[in-house]
Amino acid sequence: MTAKKITEKKKEPHDKNIVSFKKEIERLKQELNEKNDKLLRSYADLQNYQKRIEKEIACKEEETRKKYLLEIIDLYELLKKAYENNNPKDGIQAILQNIQHLLEIEQVSVIDCLGKSFDHYCHYAISTIEKNDCKDGQIVDEIKKGYMIGSKILRPSQVVVAKNKNINKKEGE
Amino acid sequence: MKKIVGIDLGTTNSEVAVMEAGKPVVIKSSEGNAYFPSVVAFTKDGEKLVGDSAKRQAVVNPEGTVMRIKRKMGTKDKIKLHGKIYTPEQISAFILQKIKTDAEEYLGEKIDEAVITVPAYFDDDQRQATKTAGEIAGFKVRRIINEPTAAALAYGLDKKGEHKIAVFDLGGGTFDITLMEVGGGVFEVLSTNGDTHLGGSDMDQILVDYIADDFKKKHGVDLRKDLKTLQRLIEAAENAKIELSSTLKTTINLPYITVIENQPKHLEIELTRSLLERLINPIVEKTVKPCQQALKDAKLKPEDLDHIVLVGGPTRMQIVQKKVEEIFRKKAEHGVDPMECVAVGAAIQAGILSGEVEKDIVLLDVTPLTLSVETLGGVSTELIGRNTTIPTKKSKIFSTAADNQLSVEINVLQGERPMAADNKSLGRFHLDGILPAPRGIPQIEVTFDIDVNGIINVSAKDLGTGKEQSIRITGSTKLSDDEITRMKKEAETHAEEDRKRKEKVEIRNNGDTLAHSIEKTLNEIKDKISEDEKQNIENALKELRQALAGDDVDEIKKKTDELSEILQKVSTDLYQKAAQKASSSQQASGSSAEPQDDSWSGHPSDDDKTIDADYKVKDEDKNKTDNKKKQDKK
Repeated sequence: MTAKKITEKKKEPHDKNIVSFKKEIERLKQELNEKNDKLLRSYADLQNYQKRIEKEIACKEEETRKKYLLEIIDLYELLKKAYENNNPKDGIQAILQNIQHLLEIEQVSVIDCLGKSFDHYCHYAISTIEKNDCKDGQIVDEIKKGYMIGSKILRPSQVVVAKNKNINKKEGE
Repeated sequence: MKKIVGIDLGTTNSEVAVMEAGKPVVIKSSEGNAYFPSVVAFTKDGEKLVGDSAKRQAVVNPEGTVMRIKRKMGTKDKIKLHGKIYTPEQISAFILQKIKTDAEEYLGEKIDEAVITVPAYFDDDQRQATKTAGEIAGFKVRRIINEPTAAALAYGLDKKGEHKIAVFDLGGGTFDITLMEVGGGVFEVLSTNGDTHLGGSDMDQILVDYIADDFKKKHGVDLRKDLKTLQRLIEAAENAKIELSSTLKTTINLPYITVIENQPKHLEIELTRSLLERLINPIVEKTVKPCQQALKDAKLKPEDLDHIVLVGGPTRMQIVQKKVEEIFRKKAEHGVDPMECVAVGAAIQAGILSGEVEKDIVLLDVTPLTLSVETLGGVSTELIGRNTTIPTKKSKIFSTAADNQLSVEINVLQGERPMAADNKSLGRFHLDGILPAPRGIPQIEVTFDIDVNGIINVSAKDLGTGKEQSIRITGSTKLSDDEITRMKKEAETHAEEDRKRKEKVEIRNNGDTLAHSIEKTLNEIKDKISEDEKQNIENALKELRQALAGDDVDEIKKKTDELSEILQKVSTDLYQKAAQKASSSQQASGSSAEPQDDSWSGHPSDDDKTIDADYKVKDEDKNKTDNKKKQDKK
């Protein structure tokens, strides 16, 4: 809009206009400088904020680490006691219960997979095995247990999956 | 500003990064990893899977899964998945689509432009195919850049004038060496070489074999025959390899690894770095020839190279770094994660294209050292911390250190040391005309404002009278690198003694404040306490004053503690009495609490503390600044 005004007024180049244009230019220049400064400052603010957040995240990470390390240390101490005991079975059972309790609090649950159909969401197929007495895609062995935290995967179960050639043939036909 | 992402489209894994406020950030996949497995699959039911889920089902569905599609880019090969035919471009596009979706989810905005990296040896067809893949995925591909160029960009090597760079990229399964020349921000590939079947996974395999052979020798059982034990072995070997990058020795301990004749067996083996290095040396050795060939092709001698850049996880191992040093007779650049540097470099290139990395915007300076003012007892009180991006502005409210102090001196300091005398004074000025008032009452707002050119405006304003004084300090951020390093180093080496000195000053300041406030209030409460109590306080006060006149800090601390103990007892009695009185008469007990509290908390300062500045008292001939006290009012 300003540009349009300027071209219109240029048609009648009076000194008065020139003076007012110059003033306008000065004003705009100043405004631009101020805006530029503001932009740079908010940009710097953002970068400083980033730095602060990074520090905070590092702090939080350390806190979390400490929390879990202390839990592990407690369990370590208990296991050491159990190791020194001649009949550690009862003690170990109690320790296991402690760990289980900790996992429950954190909403950690085991992924039940044996006999189930393979699901790429929560299972990781390490190998397959030919087995005609199983359904194709059925999990026949668990190599490493998988776990969930709430509804999210903590670690998928590592499994061996059955291949049933008969079924495959039928499907192919 | 529209965001453009940088994508490292890899053979086994892909990565994506973006510039945020001038800083490259690696974007995580929806599964929470910093990388995306470059795997695509279609299940029998026709469901498309990309990334982790595709990788997890690969062995179950080999006919429906594609891996390492990068090796087919630019060829006429077709990929048949459950009866449907795909081109390599389409498969790569699925990977890029997953990256796009996850990046959009992560950033919370639509992303439709990208910079994608390719190996330096990719020909036009391969580059075109990569670009097409990007377009199929819905990206406007702003540029295809070479992976080694991206790695060099991640280290800012485009800005260091004309020079020659070697990029040594040892990944999980491939090795690439690229020699480049850069000048005026333009990279030119001089030569490339490599080995398409050489990398970290070979190293893991060697280590697994070593451990398994050792176990077999001892127990006669091959752990590789049983999938369960093999899986545990692979994981343990990989962890040990990573651990040995930072330690000299580690122990692999796998309890209940197997059962022999009904007896559980445990695996325990100690590995040293030197053993690992001996084992993997043949692999590392294989990198030498391609490097020599690349030098030969570029007609360069190792001495001609100015910078060496390392890419890929295995380059974290010392043996690899040593080998690189041996080949090029130069130490490699450090500081960027070798696993991320290609994506990071692509993001930087994207930032340049989007205008995010513009000279005036992103290259905002930071304060090289902390800026502070001198406060009571010669302490440096920080206003703007080191590494703060400028332009910036910070204010803090200070007060006087003595009763009826009419002027304060603002000494502007630069440096990391806690005591003012050890830092560099950038300038000082006085603010006069403070109205006579008890110490701690006047509010003087000190503001540091650093503009984009590093010019500092320091102002001090008496909030009571509105009087203001300021100075301009130029060139403070233009310290030489040597000077900055020296000052930082000094702060580190003196950290412990500095801490002690500061503690001493604080003890003295605390003692002084306590003595001062007692002197003030004793008169007011003298009618409310017994003569004995008054005598006790006066004696303790006298002793504290005597201690303060001397240099024994422990003595000052002792006397301060003694006095506070007496006072606490007296004041508890006093308040109890007052409470009893109040409950019977409901009269408000007009306490002499600091009236400034409200106005201070309402002040726009970013800090709610008030600190006494080391304001030298003009009208009082108190020359021992040590006798003044630093006071933090919450």
